[in-house]
Amino acid sequence: MMRILIIEDDLEAAEAMARGLSEAGYDCSHAADGAAGLAEAQKRGFDVLIVDRMMPKMNGVEVVSTLRREGDATPVLFLSALGEVADRVDGLQAGADDYLVKPYAFPELIARVEALSRRRETGAVATTLKVGELEMNLIARTVHRGASEIDLQPREFQLLEFMMRHAGQSVTRTMLLEKVWEYHFDPQTNVIDVHISRLRSKIDKGFDRQMLQTVRGAGYRLDP
Amino acid sequence: MRLPRIFRTTPFRLTLLFLAMFAAAAAAFLAYAYLATAGEVTRRADDEIRREMNSLEAIYRRGGSPALNQALIERAVGERPFLYLLLDGKGQKITGSIEESPLGEDMEPGENWTTFQVTDTDPDGGEVKRPARGLQERLGGGEVLFVGADVGESEGFVTGIVRALWGAGALVILLGLAGGVAVSRNVSRHMAGLNDTIAAVRAGDLKARARVRGARDEYDELASGLNEMLDRLERSMGGLRHAGDAIAHDLRSPLTRLRARMEAALIEVEAGKGDPKQALIQALDDADNVLTTFNAVLAIARLQAAGSAPDQTLFDPGQLAADMAELYEPLCEDKGIDFRAELIPRLTVKAARPILAQALANVIDNAIKYTPVGGAVMIRVRRRSSGEIEFSVTDNGPGVPMEDRGRVVQRFVRLENSRSEPGSGLGLSLVAAVAEAHGGRLELDEGPGLYDGFGPGLRVAIVLPRVE
Repeated sequence: MMRILIIEDDLEAAEAMARGLSEAGYDCSHAADGAAGLAEAQKRGFDVLIVDRMMPKMNGVEVVSTLRREGDATPVLFLSALGEVADRVDGLQAGADDYLVKPYAFPELIARVEALSRRRETGAVATTLKVGELEMNLIARTVHRGASEIDLQPREFQLLEFMMRHAGQSVTRTMLLEKVWEYHFDPQTNVIDVHISRLRSKIDKGFDRQMLQTVRGAGYRLDP
Repeated sequence: MRLPRIFRTTPFRLTLLFLAMFAAAAAAFLAYAYLATAGEVTRRADDEIRREMNSLEAIYRRGGSPALNQALIERAVGERPFLYLLLDGKGQKITGSIEESPLGEDMEPGENWTTFQVTDTDPDGGEVKRPARGLQERLGGGEVLFVGADVGESEGFVTGIVRALWGAGALVILLGLAGGVAVSRNVSRHMAGLNDTIAAVRAGDLKARARVRGARDEYDELASGLNEMLDRLERSMGGLRHAGDAIAHDLRSPLTRLRARMEAALIEVEAGKGDPKQALIQALDDADNVLTTFNAVLAIARLQAAGSAPDQTLFDPGQLAADMAELYEPLCEDKGIDFRAELIPRLTVKAARPILAQALANVIDNAIKYTPVGGAVMIRVRRRSSGEIEFSVTDNGPGVPMEDRGRVVQRFVRLENSRSEPGSGLGLSLVAAVAEAHGGRLELDEGPGLYDGFGPGLRVAIVLPRVE
C-alpha cells in the first residue's frame, strides 16, 4: 500500500484529504505544521508527500528544500491557495514535483498523487514506450498499434506519450493542459476532450478494444 | 521652555551656526588688529622718544648740562609734545615739565623704558589721566634725563578702531540673525504647505495635494513628488476598494443562488421527493462556479492592484497565437465552425506569456461559444502602423450592440440574450484587465457584418504597446 504524508495545518482539510485518499487505497499520515512534517518526512518510508505551502513554524518551501538538500527524492505535491505564476515557480524550484492550487477537485488530487506515486517506476531513460499493443518509438517518433502504424500530429504524439507514461492511471484535463500544452489555466470549454477524441479515433478506430478510456468525473485513462 | 517655532527651524539653526563661525573669525581678526595697531602705536612713540633722547644727548655732549638745560627750557615753551625731566646727580630736579620721574631716581644702567600715566587738565578743569611712555637715561655727568611722550591720543585712535570693529561685529550679527529669521520664515512657509498636505492626507483626505507654485525650485520638486506619490497611492487605494466592492458584489449572487438551491434540495429530500445524490452533484457544480468566479475576480483584482503584469518577457506573438490556434482548432472543427489563423511572423511583443495566453484563450472561448454552427472564427496577429501589436479574434456570431460594447468589459455584465450560455460573465473584463496590465487596451468592434443569415459578429482585439 502506498504511504502518503500530508503536511497541512488546516485540520479539516487534512482530514477530508486523508479520508478521500484512504478511500482510494492510500495509507495516510498527517503532520499539522512544517517542523513536525519535516521530522516525520525525514524518517522516510513515504511514497508521496503532500505539502501545504503556508504553515506555521516552517513553510512548505522550506520543508521541501530541506528534504531535497538532504538528498531525499520522495515525490512532493505542493498545495497552495496562491495560484500566481511566481508562486508556482517558487514551489517547483524548491524541489516540488507538482503543484496544485486550492481549492481542488478531489479527482484532480487523486490523479496527481497517483501520477507521482508511480513516477519512480519509469525512472530509466527509455527510447520506446509500450502499453499493451501500443508501441511508441521516441527516437523515430513513430507509433504502432499491433502491426499498423499510426500517423500522429506532433501534439497528438506528445499527448499519447504522456498518456502512455501514465498508463493505467487517471489523468485529468488540467494535468494534460499543464503537462502537454504547458498552460496553467482552466479553459472554459471542452478543448481537451476534442483533442482526446481525435487521438482516440486514431489509436482505437478499427480495433475491438478501446484503449483510451474516459473516466467519469476525472478525466482519461489509457488501459493496456 | 520651548523656543518659538521659528528658532527651531533648520535654516535658523544653520544661520546661528554661520553666525557663530563668523563671530569667532571676527574676534580673531579684532584681536589681531588690536595687537598689531596697539603695538605699532607704542613702537612709533618709542622711536620718537628715542630720537628726542638722542638729539638731547647730542646737545649735552656738545654743551654739557647748561646747554641741555637751555634746550629743555626752549623745548618746553615750544609745541613739542614731549615731557622732560632733568635731575642732577643727587636726584634734584634741574628742569623739566614734570615734577618727578615715574621711574624714581634709582635706575638700571643704560635705557630704562616705562609706561605711565600723565595727569592733565581737560577744558572743563577736571583731571584726566592719559597713558604715556617714557625713557630715562643717566648722562655722562651723572645727571638723569627723562623723556616721555603722551600716547593717549594714539591709544584713543586704537580704542576707536576697536570700538568700531565691535560695533560692526554686533551689527553683522544682528543683520545675520534677522536674515536667518527671514530665511527660516520663507522655508517654514513652504514647508508648512507641504506639512498641511501631509496632515490632511493623514487625517484621511486622500485628495489633498500640495501647491506647486511654478517656481521650479526644490520646493516645487518636493511638492510635485509628493503629489505624484499621493496620486499613485490614491489610485491603488481606489483600486483596492473597488476590488473589494467588486468581489463582494460578484460573489454574493452566486453564493445566494447556491444557498437557495441547497435549501430547496434539503426541503425536497426531507419531504422524500428529491434525490440527495443529485442535489449534492448540483451543489458541487454551483460551488465550482462560485470558485471560478472567485478566481477570475481575484485575478482581475491582482492585475489591477499590481498596475503592471509581472515577469514580462519578449516573445513572438504569432507563435503564441499559433499555439492557441492549435489548441482550439479541433474544437471548432468539432462544432462545425470554420477556424482560420492569419499570423504575421517574427513580430515581438513584451508581455507575461501565461497571462496573455489565458486572456487570448478567454477571447477564443467566447468567440467559439457564440458562433453558430457553420460560422467562422478567425484569429489574427499583426502590427499596426503605430507599431502596436494587435491580437484579434473575429467571429460571426450575434455580436454586441454598439451601445453595450463598453458595458460588456465591465465586471460581471452578461447581455440579456446570452443568459442561457454558461459562463461567469467575467471573461472580457479579465481580458481587459490583462490588456491594461500590459499598458494596452481591449477593443470591441463589429465583425464581418450580416450575411448568409449570420449575425453581425464581433471583433475583439487585444492591443499591446509597441516594443522599443
